[in-house]
Amino acid sequence: MAENDWLPEPLREQLKVIGEVDILVGIPSFNSAQTIGHVVRAVQAGFAKYFPRERTLLINSDGGSTDGTPEVVRSASINDYHTILATHPLRPVHKIITPYHGIPGKGSALRLVFGVARELKAKACAVVDSDLRSITPEWIDLLISPVYREGFDFVAPLYHRHKYDGTITNSIVYPLTRALYGKRVRQPIGGDFGFSGRLAEHYLAHDVWHTDVARFGIDIWMTTMAITGGFKICQSFLGAKIHAAKDPGADLSAMLMQVVSSVFSLMEAHEEHWKRVRGSQPVPTFGFEYTVGLEPIRVNVDRMVQIFRTGLRELGPLWETILTPETFREIKRIGHTDENSFRYPSSLWVRTIYDYAVAYHKALINREHLLKSLMPLYLGRIASFVLETPEADADEVERLLEDLCQEYERMKPYLIQQWES
Amino acid sequence: MDGPFTDAVMTTLEKFYEGLEQFLPNLLAALVIIAIGWLVAWVLKRLIRRALVLARFDQFCDTTGASQVLARADIRAAPSECAGRFAFWIVFISFLMIGLSALNVGVIDRLIAEFFMYLPKIFAALLILFVGFLIGNFLSRAALLAAVNANMPSPRAISLVVKFLIAILAFAMALEQLEIATSIVTAAFIIAFGAVMLGLALAFGLGGRDVARRVLEKQFLEKKEQEPDEFSHI
Repeated sequence: MAENDWLPEPLREQLKVIGEVDILVGIPSFNSAQTIGHVVRAVQAGFAKYFPRERTLLINSDGGSTDGTPEVVRSASINDYHTILATHPLRPVHKIITPYHGIPGKGSALRLVFGVARELKAKACAVVDSDLRSITPEWIDLLISPVYREGFDFVAPLYHRHKYDGTITNSIVYPLTRALYGKRVRQPIGGDFGFSGRLAEHYLAHDVWHTDVARFGIDIWMTTMAITGGFKICQSFLGAKIHAAKDPGADLSAMLMQVVSSVFSLMEAHEEHWKRVRGSQPVPTFGFEYTVGLEPIRVNVDRMVQIFRTGLRELGPLWETILTPETFREIKRIGHTDENSFRYPSSLWVRTIYDYAVAYHKALINREHLLKSLMPLYLGRIASFVLETPEADADEVERLLEDLCQEYERMKPYLIQQWES
Repeated sequence: MDGPFTDAVMTTLEKFYEGLEQFLPNLLAALVIIAIGWLVAWVLKRLIRRALVLARFDQFCDTTGASQVLARADIRAAPSECAGRFAFWIVFISFLMIGLSALNVGVIDRLIAEFFMYLPKIFAALLILFVGFLIGNFLSRAALLAAVNANMPSPRAISLVVKFLIAILAFAMALEQLEIATSIVTAAFIIAFGAVMLGLALAFGLGGRDVARRVLEKQFLEKKEQEPDEFSHI
């Protein structure tokens, strides 16, 4: 009990009453009244359909919502289990709604979920985002069963997404994580994960709850810690991921900075581990994969190229400090090509990311400025990718992504050499 | 040859000799103090440089942009070297003043007392300028990055305005610290600051009316017309 002294007293009282559970699902939330009801019902249906005999708990770890999120969670329930082809659960489904304390952010919310999992000796756990519109009861099975029935410790999500969706994941996070740690986890920052009680203990053993991990870097931290800790990893195909529309004014530059800084910080923490890794291995995948047709979507390539060119004109001296002379020379060269033939080759992109990782490690300039200066380069790369693949289907895009990943792996010695220079 | 003339000459020579007898030890003491000062300053310079290199001060200056400020002022030496040289001259000048005071010359003593009373103000003013340059550099780079990433027109101009305003503020504060025509400096600062703002307002509102319209249209109208991308970056 002493290890969980930081849990709020009223929560500890509730946990004492519950005793132990087999399965726990956590939902971190903040002002999600519009969507969380559906998520709660999906979790309850998932418990009833796939784990009717197990002792289950749904915990909502809330960051002080003011829109009535806790009330929605409290009132959400399945009235007629027959309609979802499930029987009424044989054991009570516990539900806890509690605020978390500490730095506001998903990391602090999940720390509380890990603490509860340890307290209740949960065998298998999952966390799902509170803004999901496409979650179904099957997600609970797909995230929990690999742990509960197959002995895995960490289940990463695998979504069906549009070929241009998740560009930060596809161009930076997935290929870089794969090249660094040698595991092909396709959605390392997916947000919905399954994990064992053992892994929850491992997460809690690290004192990162006053860092950026508590605020925004928890997803990649969980994935990286699971890989570097030597835990059994797999992924589950969950289908489409549709979540509530984000604020259109949300700053892409800030989002890119948060994601990339999380990955780069972890590179520093696990330097000894990733330097030893060569190549990569696939991880077992559960679920029934499928593809659907691609709807044409609006992408403003001209604007992206324009920002890239403005960056080249205005941030040139800064890029010169960050990038190696060879990389910078190449970027200058592609900046002078015309609009239609504009291309940012994979090899140059990988060198760019590796140069940025090294500059971050060596703190060549202020780190926030460093990461913000990546944005025009990132948009240049995305514009080039869109120009290269106007007619490509999902499989073709996935093949191109595989080529990019191999480029990351092939150039890893360059990263190590620059890192140590 | 005895007579009043000879007495006068002899008396003068004796006085000169006495004066010289009193002055020469003082001069010797002054020279010794200055020589010791040079030695102490040189050792201190080496120590400071070494300590700063160990503390990665040069990298810190690179990170904060202070190195770029020095480079722009055509100072090619490393920041740690500059700090060492600065310490050398401060210590050496201080010893020089002490050495000169050993000469026991009234006017020099007064000047030296004034110099030592003024020294803290010089330090404070230099510190204000240095911090002002650092903050100016940092904020102008932040403004430049934000403007580029937001696809705003003329990011360089925005960044320069930020840097210029902070430089004016730091310069005015430094001069006020040195008590150089305080009221004039304060008034000049207010006038200069106001003039910059007024100038910008006039340039934007009258002189560059068409440009202003185009910029605002580009910023607001075109942005409304430009629908956001339909894919998610994350």
